[in-house]
Amino acid sequence: MNVSLSIICERIKRELGKSRRLPVGTIRRREFERFAIAADDHNRLFFDDAFARSHGYKSAFAPPLYLSSVMGWEAGPPQESLRADGTPSNDATALAIEGLRLMGGGQELEFHRPVADETDVVMEFSVTNVEFKQGRSGELLVIEVQKKYLDGEGRPLVTCRENFIAR
Amino acid sequence: MQPARLLFEDVSVGGVLPPLIKRPTTAQLFRFSAVTWNAHRIHYDKPYALLEGYPDVLVQSHLHGSFLAQAVMDWAGPDARLMNLRWQNRAIATPGDVLTCTGVVVKVELREGLGFVECQLEERNQQNTLCAAGWARVRMPRRDDKATQGAA
Repeated sequence: MNVSLSIICERIKRELGKSRRLPVGTIRRREFERFAIAADDHNRLFFDDAFARSHGYKSAFAPPLYLSSVMGWEAGPPQESLRADGTPSNDATALAIEGLRLMGGGQELEFHRPVADETDVVMEFSVTNVEFKQGRSGELLVIEVQKKYLDGEGRPLVTCRENFIAR
Repeated sequence: MQPARLLFEDVSVGGVLPPLIKRPTTAQLFRFSAVTWNAHRIHYDKPYALLEGYPDVLVQSHLHGSFLAQAVMDWAGPDARLMNLRWQNRAIATPGDVLTCTGVVVKVELREGLGFVECQLEERNQQNTLCAAGWARVRMPRRDDKATQGAA
């Protein structure tokens, strides 16, 4: 195994099972509407309260992938602390993969409740698995994280298991 | 032709979702990176993406997933509830690609009076390369529902 992959694999293994509870903050309608627009998704459920109510919801709500697609909920790290590839090296959900190239591999999502404007959200984050694999283009790590999003009363909103490929 | 309001009773295994076609642009990728606070340079910095061996900036993983979610929700309609979605990225996509999202119903199930439908999903580019493969589970409205199924 590539030495740096091996070291990083062992480092990530030491993080397995450690859960961190992180504030996401208050969800704002303009932000999730911008997400919908950027995704070219004009579903009226995300924009129109009256339309959403007429279909059984309390109000318009965020597109289903909104929470699990946002990479950071804080103001963000200063530019000088970004890695060469632009990703943050020191925020709470950053993976310790210095020197490797990272790519999103996909998600598995369970939707528990709609996420409406002004919902207070926290996230429970943990690294749940890391595996060394021989891919078509060489050695790689598949890293699985879990992100559970809860509202202010502790009720689940979205559960996300996400894979990243590091090489 | 799909009915105006799709019901559980209208759906059967083997039924197909209307194809959803997306043509991502560099502006779209920039805006999607901005709203998701994704500073990864492979999505907006072409010289950097070339350095990593890619032909251009890349469509974000989550944007592939959003396209598949959109294909399902547009088909199922506003009275349906998306319960689960998963997808895996299989190949890169870049601005200028034409991405077609398709789906087929693989399971219909009545459970405690509620109607659930499962779909296999694919997103392919103009060369028919599979860019993302997915699966979704949706709770559909039923013909005898007295009102919409409020889950909110």
